[in-house]
Amino acid sequence: MNKTILKIKNQPNLIIGGIITAVVIFMAIAAPLLAPYHPVDDADLMVSEEPPGSTYLMGTDEQGRDILSRVIYGSRISLSIGIVTQVMNTIIGIILGLSAGYFGKWWDDLVMGLTNIMLSIPSMIFALAIMALIGPGLINVFFALGITNWSYTCRITRSQVLFTRSLDYVKAAKALGYGDIRIMFTQILPNILGPILVIGTLGVASAILLEASLSFLGLGTQPPTPSWGGMLATARNQMFTAPWISIFPGLAIFITVLGLNLFGDGLRDILDPHSVGKIK
Amino acid sequence: MKKLCFILLLLFTGFCFFPGSSMAAKSGGEFNFIAPYGGDLSSLDPHKTNRTQDYIVILNIHRSLYKWSADAGKPVLALADSVKVSQDRLTYTYALKQNVKFHNGRNMTADDIIWSYQRILTPATASPGVRSIRIIKGADDFESGKATAIQGLKKLDDYTLEITLKNPVEPGFSLYPPEIAILPKEEVEKRGDSFGVDPVGCGPFKFVNWVKGSEVVLEKFAGYYEAGKPYLDKVVYKIMPEAASRDIAFKVKELDATTVGSVNYPEYKGTPAIAKNMIEVAELWTRVVCFNVDYGPFKNKKVRQALNYAINTKLINKKLLKGKAVDPVGYLPPSSPAFGTDSKGYEYNPERAKQLLKEAGYPDGFTFECLGTDNGTWGVKAIEALIPMLKKVGVKVVPVRMEGAAMSARAKSGDFQALIWSLDSGPDPLSALSRWESVNERVSGNYSGYNSAAFDNYLALARVETDDSKKMDLLKKADQTFIEDAPVWFYNYNKAVLAYHPWVHGLQPVAVELMYQDLSSVWVDENSPRK
Amino acid sequence: MTLYVVKRLLQFIPTIFCISLMMFVILNVLPGDATTMSGGMKRQLDAKTAENMKKQLGLDKPLHIRYLHYIKGLVKGDLGKSYLRSESVNDLIAQRLKPTIQVSLAALLIAVGFGIPLGFVSALKQGTWMDTLSMVGAVSGVSIPQFWLGLILMYVFSLLLGWLPPQGYGGGSLVNLIMPAFTLGVGYMALIARTTRAAVIEVLSEDYIRTARSKGLSEWIVNRRHVFGNTMILILTTVGLQFGSLVGQTVIIEKLFSWPGIGSLLVDSIFQRDIPVTQGCVLVIIGVFLIVNLVIDLMYVIIDPRIQYK
Repeated sequence: MNKTILKIKNQPNLIIGGIITAVVIFMAIAAPLLAPYHPVDDADLMVSEEPPGSTYLMGTDEQGRDILSRVIYGSRISLSIGIVTQVMNTIIGIILGLSAGYFGKWWDDLVMGLTNIMLSIPSMIFALAIMALIGPGLINVFFALGITNWSYTCRITRSQVLFTRSLDYVKAAKALGYGDIRIMFTQILPNILGPILVIGTLGVASAILLEASLSFLGLGTQPPTPSWGGMLATARNQMFTAPWISIFPGLAIFITVLGLNLFGDGLRDILDPHSVGKIK
Repeated sequence: MKKLCFILLLLFTGFCFFPGSSMAAKSGGEFNFIAPYGGDLSSLDPHKTNRTQDYIVILNIHRSLYKWSADAGKPVLALADSVKVSQDRLTYTYALKQNVKFHNGRNMTADDIIWSYQRILTPATASPGVRSIRIIKGADDFESGKATAIQGLKKLDDYTLEITLKNPVEPGFSLYPPEIAILPKEEVEKRGDSFGVDPVGCGPFKFVNWVKGSEVVLEKFAGYYEAGKPYLDKVVYKIMPEAASRDIAFKVKELDATTVGSVNYPEYKGTPAIAKNMIEVAELWTRVVCFNVDYGPFKNKKVRQALNYAINTKLINKKLLKGKAVDPVGYLPPSSPAFGTDSKGYEYNPERAKQLLKEAGYPDGFTFECLGTDNGTWGVKAIEALIPMLKKVGVKVVPVRMEGAAMSARAKSGDFQALIWSLDSGPDPLSALSRWESVNERVSGNYSGYNSAAFDNYLALARVETDDSKKMDLLKKADQTFIEDAPVWFYNYNKAVLAYHPWVHGLQPVAVELMYQDLSSVWVDENSPRK
Repeated sequence: MTLYVVKRLLQFIPTIFCISLMMFVILNVLPGDATTMSGGMKRQLDAKTAENMKKQLGLDKPLHIRYLHYIKGLVKGDLGKSYLRSESVNDLIAQRLKPTIQVSLAALLIAVGFGIPLGFVSALKQGTWMDTLSMVGAVSGVSIPQFWLGLILMYVFSLLLGWLPPQGYGGGSLVNLIMPAFTLGVGYMALIARTTRAAVIEVLSEDYIRTARSKGLSEWIVNRRHVFGNTMILILTTVGLQFGSLVGQTVIIEKLFSWPGIGSLLVDSIFQRDIPVTQGCVLVIIGVFLIVNLVIDLMYVIIDPRIQYK
């Protein structure tokens, strides 16, 4: 127990990352308390595209809405999409990748075939199909993004498993008569978690950005509900004339993903089975 | 003596000045222009495409019987020197120009026009231009295969063509668009489908090369029928769908002229060097939110009027579109000949709106959904701007962003409460207004489902009226009725803006579509980096 | 080994078949068809003309007949004819494949060329300011939308400095290639740097590395012999996946820089409901993807003899 606390103390990454992530999550939960204006109702065209100043700390957008408030409220959509879909993707990817790499044979062929299909059909086509089949809505976005982007994690996991399963400690575990599931999750997975966490956390950024492109097709959050990706996307042509409209949601994405990455890195170090502390 | 000197000086400066403002056109040089809409071009076969993006280029390779004149504000003869109109305004006899050559060197004759119109009308061509040719007598029989020739098209000799119409309409409006171009039969047949990527026409420029998704290159056609034209040696259309990259490319002088969107409009307008080289025109496109008159609250005229009063349209046009829009009156824009100069539109009056809603039985307002695409001007962005305004009168609007094809499908099925769109309102005011006739279903563009006996009646009268000014009066009355009934929210007319560098001369304010620039009269002076 | 390659190649067939069927069904149930958007939103066809156009395109026939027709062509390598363009899908794609591959390869080169060394450095110098800097760089790499980056590059290198042309293909010349490739490559560079770092750290903590170190082998030899070789598997997988998906994800840079690639053809065709073109693009993209990944799988064996394919 004490050992774990000690380990955490030695992980500035984990602490900083954890703080950033906690702040962003708090922001999402407490949005109505924190935001100085309402993100939709307080629109006033008379003050559209005001640069940042004392009244509007981050300026206003083309509809005359306070960007700070929209960034704060936007964290609700963007964070949940980023995290939920990446958790879904990672879990699906790990299970399929682990089993494919471990068992091989026809299962491997099947999973890899499916992975290739998922990787090569553009997500836009998926989005359109889902829109046509089950209609728009936030849950459907989770679904659309959650079931399309696992293939990456799956491929990486599988390739790592291919390499790991021939290593000594796996062979040893087998000799000890451990079950397949136990070997996969207790022997192999911890050893390959690093890259998976990296892909999972960096993927949050692309999920947040992708939500915006889905929203443009009519799937996903509908305006005027703010989301970071959506704010970025609508302001793209104003990049030079009113840069503040896109810079702040862009920064929000950056900080969130940075926090998650630091957190993920630290987490991995703690979970590392070799647990030798830092290599100096 | 002093006086004489003065006069001489005056004459001299005047002399210098005059040619300065209308300098003699100089030949040579290259012109880099843009194809800004959507993505790549689809086809350069005018009969087989329906896209504005393609017509921008097509109209400089090909020629139709008429062409749009920006000065006259209407179609004028292009391939004919003169036309004789019969008493009943049904038969038009064209004296065709005798020096029109196709790019393969052959002279254009009446046969080519007849063949081209037949090709458009042949079902296998699947041409979007059929509408235009249907004004000719016997077109229906040819289209359905009952006749082997179009009855109303008669060749009197190689350079004389007689066209007989079904109704006394002005044929120029139907026969000027680029999709009604005259093509050389032998080249079309030789190339088959690939005519669309290797076209031959009789326009001022010859096709050279098309790098798919990147650019189309044209070069001067020496055998063009207008003496001395075209001036430019080479024209390059850059395919640039992104406004921000067009902006940079224009500033780097990679582009000689560019279309200006609302985002950059204030900046361009505020830069004196650019502002003096800008063309602005109220295009014949009207942006509206169509209220589905079959949907509960919208059945009531007062509700529709109330929404028009409740919205501060001028503020939206000024702030959201940054002044790059013309404030609306009715359906027809100021550049239309039937624009009602004394027509009254809706002013911003929320009190009146509340009053009307109360009278209509909606004192507490109601909720409706409005569909839109992600278009920057006539899309969801505009609906978002309505939210706070309508909220003040108790009405809640829920924007629904959709992808274009999906929204078109819904619009035509009538499965919506309201939607935002940009609709053509010209050049012919009669056919523009006829969209709203009650005989038209939503499939044919009457998205609101507008149904007014008075409106229908004005249009029916206008259709048979032979006196032009009386006809325009009838159309003005029809438009006024339309305003009164308010089946739409009148949003704006497009203000199209073209910016060019100072070395460019001869661009025209084309009200049908500002990007439809006939480059045969455009020239560049020695300051051009590509001269 | 040969048997394995043949087996894998044979597996392409059901994959391609599955995708073509899935795509066909998805695309055909979408609302709207090629006649709806033939002229964009503003130029809608009248009902009669649209009906005729549908008939000419064969869109009035039942779905299974259309699919059979399509499959018949596909077997012969014929991807069909575009609904709205005057060319066969084969020709359309052929013209755009080269620029796509060019820009994807260049982007990959940038991503790998900078990403791998960056990843190694930050793994070996774990916890130092260099590590932190590369992490911040990587996170910005994935958070900056391509659109932003492309425009900023354009602004700096074309407008301010005048070094590079703002747009155009220029026959694929290097000056035209730099900005699109960089814009496309940065996000991937970030991902490669981070995965490399993670992989190197994993490997560094493995027993055999520690054994090697304890044997007194110099740091450099350990790094070169063991670390590099063993991290290559992961890096290769990442690179392979990315090259495959890069080919289909060039749409934004294509539109920004007027680059004549396959991405914009694909996306435009989706919006225009030009189904044969969409189908064709997807099949070609997956073809490239499958081949690249087969090559990568074979390379695993070369790098690590312990991996065997039966």
